[in-house]
Amino acid sequence: MVDFIQNTLDGIALGSAYALLALGFTLIFGVMGRLNIAYGPCIMIGVFAGAGVYSDLTQSIVMIFVATLAGTILASAYVERVSFAAIRADAALASMVSTFAVWMQLEEIVAHLFPARTYAFKELGHLSLIEAGPFFLRQESLFMLLVTLAVLLGLALVLGRSHFGLELRALTDSRRAAIISGINVRRIIFLTFLLAAMIGGVAGFMIAMSDGQVTPKFGLWATMKGLVAMVIGGLASLRGAVLGGMLLGIIEAQAQWYFGASVREILVYAILFAALILLPRGILGGPHTVWRS
Amino acid sequence: MMLKLEGMSKHFGGVKAVDDVSLTMNEGEIFGLIGPNGSGKSTTINLITGLYAPTSGTVSLEGRDLTALAQHERTALGVARTFQNIRLFGNLSVAENLWVAQNGHKQRRQHFISRWFKAGGLQDTNIDELLRFSRLHSKKDSLASALSFGEMRRLEMARALASNPKVLLLDEPAAGASIEDGQLLGERIRAVRDRGVSILLIEHMMELVMGITDRMAVLNFGRKIAEGTPSDIQSNPDVRAAYLGTKNKNKEPADA
Repeated sequence: MVDFIQNTLDGIALGSAYALLALGFTLIFGVMGRLNIAYGPCIMIGVFAGAGVYSDLTQSIVMIFVATLAGTILASAYVERVSFAAIRADAALASMVSTFAVWMQLEEIVAHLFPARTYAFKELGHLSLIEAGPFFLRQESLFMLLVTLAVLLGLALVLGRSHFGLELRALTDSRRAAIISGINVRRIIFLTFLLAAMIGGVAGFMIAMSDGQVTPKFGLWATMKGLVAMVIGGLASLRGAVLGGMLLGIIEAQAQWYFGASVREILVYAILFAALILLPRGILGGPHTVWRS
Repeated sequence: MMLKLEGMSKHFGGVKAVDDVSLTMNEGEIFGLIGPNGSGKSTTINLITGLYAPTSGTVSLEGRDLTALAQHERTALGVARTFQNIRLFGNLSVAENLWVAQNGHKQRRQHFISRWFKAGGLQDTNIDELLRFSRLHSKKDSLASALSFGEMRRLEMARALASNPKVLLLDEPAAGASIEDGQLLGERIRAVRDRGVSILLIEHMMELVMGITDRMAVLNFGRKIAEGTPSDIQSNPDVRAAYLGTKNKNKEPADA
């Protein structure tokens, strides 16, 4: 029982990173009705920008954070222009294929600029444990949890209390009604990509810090984790994305402890299949429920 | 003139959904647009709002050419509409449905101030007035999806008014309503006109159209076959032929 609870604690910390990735996917899916599978690779660009600044220029954590965020935002803006704004509204498949092409492009760019593949990222400092009875929380886990909570709070304020948030929610609800209400749909889509990029940049930064290194595999990893968490929690539901991320983290932590790392991956994808069959809309997903007032 | 269509055509492949239609609506007018199913009424509305680009022809508002403008730009200049099958933001509250349509820089700032610095959340005199005008004030914090059918229709019209339009296009606002509801609707439409909004009304309920429009035009197979006052139209032989003589022959598919 102690193990189970300890695993759950670890899982929530890991899951909070997954939750952020799933939120980025969900925001874009909500306004576009399309998947952006290049989301993970955009974050990969960000963490490599951070690693580049770290190895060549400065130790400053603020500068590394800014570089990570800027890299993710620039790559995301590129994806939005090339794979979404430039493609007709009724060609969803073309958009998805296009994001796949951008993904390959981004990986090649990184392979070119960073030939050693694995690069050091600034670490969180020395890792002490916070203990309470038989349980403990690693400092990096606490850091992830707190950052995630801060992002969630910020996102709730943006969506609930800004005119942009209102327009985003309206667009997610009904594209045609949004257009006729005078909403500049292209502008809101672009801003939503930037918002998703900021969330992804923060997620990438804290994951890279807790790993202490980055590799080009990061893009694939982030896309897979984010997609699985989104599907489990519920397509187009922000609460579902958070719940799905947490659940995925907990399941992984338990599976790793009881069955080992290779079984963990098999189990996670088995659960994804089960979720797709039994709960095709995910746990909290309904039609268009990104947010309820 | 308020709204003007000149030589407007829209062809879908070989189908001439709208064929060389010209209309002029005056300021403060309630203008009816009628015709059998598939005669091009909804396509005409979609050409005015900019959902479709015309095959040829122009549309202008108070002399300003709208033809090349995007839909949201036309909304900003004063073109609003409602839909035959209601399109609301179901997951937004009633008040938010109106806030989101109030789309200027000034409104954005007011929205920000209201959200952050006023007790009781969203407050704005324009929106309060619109809520009262639409008899929705008691429902302002309900989700739009929780409203009754009649309330949804009223909210949709209120949302169209929230963008402060010069012209309001009503696409079969009486669909699904009884004759008595239709009379109430007629009073509401007059009340909207009295707020200074010119109205283009597409409607099948003839009592309503004949009762409240100042002038009207009749479409058949995408062409305008008559224009005039309701009494002119009622006595027009072409219109009678379109509605009675050929009603079940050569019927085109209904336009959405």
